[in-house]
Amino acid sequence: MKEKSLFPVGYMFVITAVFSSVLIGLNAFTRGRVEANQRIAFERAVLEVFGLAQGGPSQIHERFVERISPPKKGSYDRTYVLKEGDTTKGIALPFEGQGFWAPIRGILGFQPDGKTITGISFYEQSETPGLGAEILKPYFREQFEGKTVSEMDKPVRLRPAGSSLDSNEVHAITGATQTCTRLERILNDAIKEWRSDSSDKGAAP
Amino acid sequence: MTPQGDSPTTRKIVLDGLWHNNPIFRQILGICSTLAVTNLVLNTVVMCTSLTLVTALSCLTVSLLRHWTPRNIRMMVQTLIIAFYVIIVDLFLKAYWPEMSRNLGPFVGLIITNCIIMGRCEGFAGSNKPIPSLIDGFFNGLGYSFILLGIACSRELLGMGTVLGFSIPWFTEHWDKWVIMVMPPGAFFTLAVMIWICRSIKPKEEKA
Repeated sequence: MKEKSLFPVGYMFVITAVFSSVLIGLNAFTRGRVEANQRIAFERAVLEVFGLAQGGPSQIHERFVERISPPKKGSYDRTYVLKEGDTTKGIALPFEGQGFWAPIRGILGFQPDGKTITGISFYEQSETPGLGAEILKPYFREQFEGKTVSEMDKPVRLRPAGSSLDSNEVHAITGATQTCTRLERILNDAIKEWRSDSSDKGAAP
Repeated sequence: MTPQGDSPTTRKIVLDGLWHNNPIFRQILGICSTLAVTNLVLNTVVMCTSLTLVTALSCLTVSLLRHWTPRNIRMMVQTLIIAFYVIIVDLFLKAYWPEMSRNLGPFVGLIITNCIIMGRCEGFAGSNKPIPSLIDGFFNGLGYSFILLGIACSRELLGMGTVLGFSIPWFTEHWDKWVIMVMPPGAFFTLAVMIWICRSIKPKEEKA
């Protein structure tokens, strides 16, 4: 009687152990690849804002290592800098924040002046396909190229489609109001934080 | 597989899964994923392939273990087996198709709770031989898939004017896109229409 009541427990234990060990093995086997995929997605996004994201994963990685200098450890500055020799050719500012469904993470690229936008790219988002996810489409992202974001009075604005645009404004996506409002806030928060950090650094002795 | 006797059964299993006992419009199972992943055809194709594979393999495994599994813990064992295959699919997508894995987000993991798989494991595989169980799981998956693809095609076409990302000539120029088709409510309407159509076809087939 006692043996019989213990059998299900033992059975469950053994079967769980067998299946779990297979999964642990597979997980260990694919972990390297999964992590590499995530890293490449990020590196591609950084290069994309400077128009340098051509080629396969290995080319992307090589170019990233060669051209981009990552932020110094321990500094407040989170930006990635595009170098050519010793001169700065561009600044990539990572941004992230809550989108409509899940976090939106991406990169905003600036010319060395820190005001003129060179491009925008996303490496993580789960917005609604066909609506919010249109932020990934070239027609939306290309609008950002050449726009300027000056110090205080002119943050990035997403304006309703069809309205006339100032140099800091782009057209929003019709039907994706939530995504656009949130994206606007995410971008401006990131820019504001970055600027306050760099002015702190400038003011400090 | 075995000669005689077995072939009509196989035929019945196939037809039941695809039509007479279709998981979506007969059993109304697996509706959650029907609503979630059908706004882009490509996402739906991957979801359907994953679900069909998971259902078939889970049914096979449940059937193989049916003589040893104590009845009082069979549900736990089934869930474990289903989760095992779903995690494999999830890992595979993450490693080899990261874009798709990002598109589908949490929905791959949610295959575990898809009622169809549990339903087939409990209703068929638990009391049948491995090979018929495999066939049953596979064709129930296909039955689910073709309904989902129908829904996805109409939603993507009416909502965005594209199918599989390709623009369809007339729809991109003259069609006023129905935004609601891309949103979750669009899936409810389309699903209801699909069920209506399929159920009204059925009686004729039975007479024939």
